[in-house]
Amino acid sequence: MKASHLGIPALFIVVVSVWSTSAGLAQNLDQAAGAAALSREQLSGRIAFFESKIRPVLHEHCVACHGPEKQEGGLRLDSPAAILKGGDSGTAIEVADPSSSLLLVAVRQLDATLIMPPPPAAKLSANVISDLARWVEQGAQMPMDAASEMGPAIKKPKIGKEHWSFQPIVRPSLPSLPESQWDQNAIDLFVRQAQEMKGIGAQSEAARAVWLRRITFDLTGLPPAVGEIEAFLTDRSTEAHQRVIDRLLASPQYGVRWGRFWLDVVRYADSNGLDENIAHGTAWRYRNYVIESWNEDKPYDRFLTEQIAGDLLPAETRRQRIDQLTATAFLAMGPKVLAEVDERKMEMDIIDEQIDTLGKAFLGMTFGCARCHDHKFDPISTRDYYGLAGVFKSTHTMDSFTKIAKWHENDIATEQEEAVRRAKESEIAELKSRLEKLAAEGASDAEKKMLSERLEALQKSLPALPTVMGVKEGSVQDVAVHVRGNHLALGAEVKRSFPEVLTVAEGISVVPEQSGRLQLTSWMTDRQHPLTARVMVNRLWRWHFGKGLVATTDNFGALGEKPSHPELLDWLAAELIDSGWSVKHLQRLIVSSATYRQSSERNVASEAVDPENRLWWRYPIRRLEAEAIRDFLLASSGGVDLARGTSLLHVGNREFLFDHTSIDKTKYDSHLRAIFLPVIRNHLYDLFDLFDYSDAATVQGDRGSTIVAPQALFMLNSPLVHEAAQRLSERLQSEEFASDGERIQRLHLQVYGRYPTDQETAAMLAFVQRGGGDVKGDRWNYLCQVALAANDFLYVR
Amino acid sequence: MTTERAFLGDLLASRAGCNRRSMLQQSGMGFGYLAAAALLGELSAPVRGAETAFERALSAKPAHFPSKAKRAIFLFMKGGPSHVDTFDYKPKLQKDDGKELPFDKPRVQFAKTGKLLGSPWKFARYGQSGSYVSELFPNVAKHVDDLCFIHSLHGTNAAHGGALLKLHTGSDAFVRPSLGAWLSYGLGTENSDLPGFVTICPTLAHGGVNNWGSAFLPAIYQGTPLGNASLPSDQATVRYIKSASGVSRDVQREQLDLLRELHQQKADSGLVDDALDSRIASMELAFRMQSEMPLAEDLSQETAATHALYGLNDPRTVNFGRQCLLARRLIERGVRYVQVTHSDAFVQWDQHADLKKGHEKNSKEVDLPIAALLQDLKQRGLLDETLVIWSGEFGRTPVAEGSNGRDHNPEGFTAWFAGGGVKGGFHYGRTDEYGYYAVDNKVHLHDFHATLLALMGLDHEKLTYRYAGRDFRLTDVHGKVAWDIFA
Repeated sequence: MKASHLGIPALFIVVVSVWSTSAGLAQNLDQAAGAAALSREQLSGRIAFFESKIRPVLHEHCVACHGPEKQEGGLRLDSPAAILKGGDSGTAIEVADPSSSLLLVAVRQLDATLIMPPPPAAKLSANVISDLARWVEQGAQMPMDAASEMGPAIKKPKIGKEHWSFQPIVRPSLPSLPESQWDQNAIDLFVRQAQEMKGIGAQSEAARAVWLRRITFDLTGLPPAVGEIEAFLTDRSTEAHQRVIDRLLASPQYGVRWGRFWLDVVRYADSNGLDENIAHGTAWRYRNYVIESWNEDKPYDRFLTEQIAGDLLPAETRRQRIDQLTATAFLAMGPKVLAEVDERKMEMDIIDEQIDTLGKAFLGMTFGCARCHDHKFDPISTRDYYGLAGVFKSTHTMDSFTKIAKWHENDIATEQEEAVRRAKESEIAELKSRLEKLAAEGASDAEKKMLSERLEALQKSLPALPTVMGVKEGSVQDVAVHVRGNHLALGAEVKRSFPEVLTVAEGISVVPEQSGRLQLTSWMTDRQHPLTARVMVNRLWRWHFGKGLVATTDNFGALGEKPSHPELLDWLAAELIDSGWSVKHLQRLIVSSATYRQSSERNVASEAVDPENRLWWRYPIRRLEAEAIRDFLLASSGGVDLARGTSLLHVGNREFLFDHTSIDKTKYDSHLRAIFLPVIRNHLYDLFDLFDYSDAATVQGDRGSTIVAPQALFMLNSPLVHEAAQRLSERLQSEEFASDGERIQRLHLQVYGRYPTDQETAAMLAFVQRGGGDVKGDRWNYLCQVALAANDFLYVR
Repeated sequence: MTTERAFLGDLLASRAGCNRRSMLQQSGMGFGYLAAAALLGELSAPVRGAETAFERALSAKPAHFPSKAKRAIFLFMKGGPSHVDTFDYKPKLQKDDGKELPFDKPRVQFAKTGKLLGSPWKFARYGQSGSYVSELFPNVAKHVDDLCFIHSLHGTNAAHGGALLKLHTGSDAFVRPSLGAWLSYGLGTENSDLPGFVTICPTLAHGGVNNWGSAFLPAIYQGTPLGNASLPSDQATVRYIKSASGVSRDVQREQLDLLRELHQQKADSGLVDDALDSRIASMELAFRMQSEMPLAEDLSQETAATHALYGLNDPRTVNFGRQCLLARRLIERGVRYVQVTHSDAFVQWDQHADLKKGHEKNSKEVDLPIAALLQDLKQRGLLDETLVIWSGEFGRTPVAEGSNGRDHNPEGFTAWFAGGGVKGGFHYGRTDEYGYYAVDNKVHLHDFHATLLALMGLDHEKLTYRYAGRDFRLTDVHGKVAWDIFA
């Protein structure tokens, strides 16, 4: 500000609020100004106002001329102390008479000789000016610690190493409880202990048919067959439940169900989405790799490592090598802006997506926030971020960034496929040389024609060698901090490294000649790492029970929820690691527990204490997931094909799924299980879209379960439901039954996995028998539509 | 609204134990009710604080500040209409046709471009305001005194996909809720039997569903598409609105009655929770929608004069005319936000070549229907409370691509508003003398969003939604309202 205008003597009473880092907010001292002392909350609210509204404005508009480099008029506005001190002409802020504050006079441009910011800079917006005025009127509160310079943002993270999820995993000892028939295993001890502390009584066990339907859907995504229901209901041995669990965990359909959950986490999609929607024509190989990995109970640490660094792992067989390369599709299949005109920006955006996905998927950390500024809530700095960015900058994900950009594909031919191709190639070469020879010898056209036709046919039949999207090592390099995330404003270079707050052990760091991905996985799967195992066991719990022990499955940072059962979480995490990272071992424990076997019935007393069922006093009633609804619609009418699928896309790799025509050519009429249906970003299959399937935009460990009218329209009117009802009805009518009552009983077994009550049978019989003008067959069709639209179809108890 | 308010009251009262279920079945609960159910997630037990969640999602919500506009229609011109050939007159461009651009082109461009290309169309002044409009829009020109032009709009993305996403969601890098979803979230719905946000014949390319999606906002706020750009607008309707096997309405009534009876049996045995209740209610709503939506879509209810006004008798204007008329019918019934997309099997306004032919065809298709919509809204006294918005995803370069085309230009372009509390015959902001860059009173797309929300009575800094521990906004950390355009 101009010095001549800061000379007005003023009754200026300094209003100082002290920010003491050790004791929090100290007393505020503005009694002299006549204002009442502020409460802690008020003071902290005003400080927050300063941080969010005032500090950035001073930084952006004032500090260039009133800061460390220039001190126009002797005034600095780059620290609270300096602001209070004022300039050559005295003070800039008058708390006692806010509107006479020179700071406000200047920015309001009330005095033609005192215009701030000086032209040609534009006047500050009305919003900003009113914020400044409000700030002065409320006592100009600021944090007064020494480090509080007018930077663009708060620098210090809100939490540090002491945050619960950063603590080492220590296996807690088991609670000792009085003998109870309810307890089945360690899980139940923790769950019961928490319930008993709140005075919640033990819930009864679920009816056997209810439990069978629950666990069959849970482990395979399919309903129990009528024969399986009858067998289980008559098996009265003590091992009956365990036998079912073992059978289902060994079923090839288990991987189809659980692989799909994992595909949500890794934002799996068969198309790019975002701006140019082109086909991920080879992504299906990764999908099938995931299914088989779950089926074979691949140790989770191994599974993780393959997806991040599979190309860097040694392989004993070609098959293994192919699997490991396929796994790296994890890094490649994120949504990308492939027509981004700014190629350097595109590259950093892709790296950002990789870091963001990796952080949320495996560690429950939102690293992405630190791209532009130190993380506001978690102790992740921009240095940490660019340390990781170097790892992925050194990884080759894209073959070309020129629009439309191309991702890399790894070659994954088997020896046999290569041999076949080599043989054909040498045949072609031989034919070519014979043709040349013939030409030189002046052979007849007919002779040459015959040979060239054969050559052409051979060339056409030459099989393309299979590839799969994925990564390889790139040129190894470190990355500079991008100031405010801007690739055009580079700061200091950061050595490739892993986030400091999560350092697990000495000796795990990048090696100079590699990207560092392999070391990254060693760091993540180190048994000292506090997050990897916790995040995974919590995911498993969420998928079995509909809600995690930590409700925010993808965020274990400061903004995530705290665990409802911290000891149980740690016990499970320790158990996962000690079992050699066996996921099926963990799941067997969970589904064998009494907690899992409880009834879902309501209980007035328990509900009064814990209405949200956070203590798991009952099994929650859960709606089936989109894919289970689709498979069930087919299965209940005998129409699901349990084979493995490959690609169901109608276009080749990198071809457009949606171009300017807006015509949707993707087909969903296959009878393979839903996991094999195309996942088209930006345009999910109707049924998937309606029933909360993951849209593959980002990591999704906790799908919603909405209830909206368009779902009801689908269940009432869609061809899929009507066809399923028709098939179901035809099957019921074609079989011999002693009575329509028995027919209704069969319908119940098939669709609800249980026998009907007398009331249900009566209501349904009455429905079939009504309808004067209708043919009887139609009435059965209508009844089957009702059966499929009912809650008992869509919900698992 | 009164029914819905009363319903809310009943609902809350019923928490004390009266017969809520039958009340749910009989009351006029709408999308809002189901939204509440969705908001409450699993609903497996009575949830503490459920009242506020219900309240938030249910009712038409008060705006943050008083506003004239209650509803909005967005006329989206897909592909990027050229501002310098329509509403942003540049005499200097005409004069310097064929010369080099005397300043730098942007650092990143979509395609290779050459020298300045004068507009092939003449401009004339119209109305009291004397606003310039080119001969491409002779009918819209008659309404210039109702239009409020923003000539200094600018974005950051030079490709269709990114620019569409930026325009519709504020982000080209992440999947974010769309403008319409934010509006329905902020203002609620006025008709519980119809969705709050409808998009007519949207394009499925370049962001597709994300352009009308709700992302992390509750699903209830997403746009309901009627058809898509690959279909003629007389086929535009809600998915699954008709029974696939021709089951009659009477039989469907019987089916729903049976569903309710079976549900009631469960309820009597204590085997039902809120989610299951809600789902039965959703079946009833769907049943009602099946009759409401076709009524709204039935253009045969309109007079011959109205058909003629919107150009339904002319093959060139019938498709877009029908969309505009449909938009008016939906707005009248209390739909909060309707988007009408002008796009077909091509990128419509994307004239990299043959500017003259392409823009003439396109403007012919939309000019008359848009003028009709403005006139019709005015006649019915709806224009004051309806905000009409016209824009593409970007403008076009004043320099030529090839010999007779123009490239994408996000650096400066024109949109206009009409009705709903804006100054008529008003011009805000300016591009340079050739129309390449916005230079005066620049309005970034974030500012455009902030302004649009403000016109609807919403403060873009207060319209937030907490997701994954963070408060999200349509305008992210940006956005400045262009207060000068407010009447």
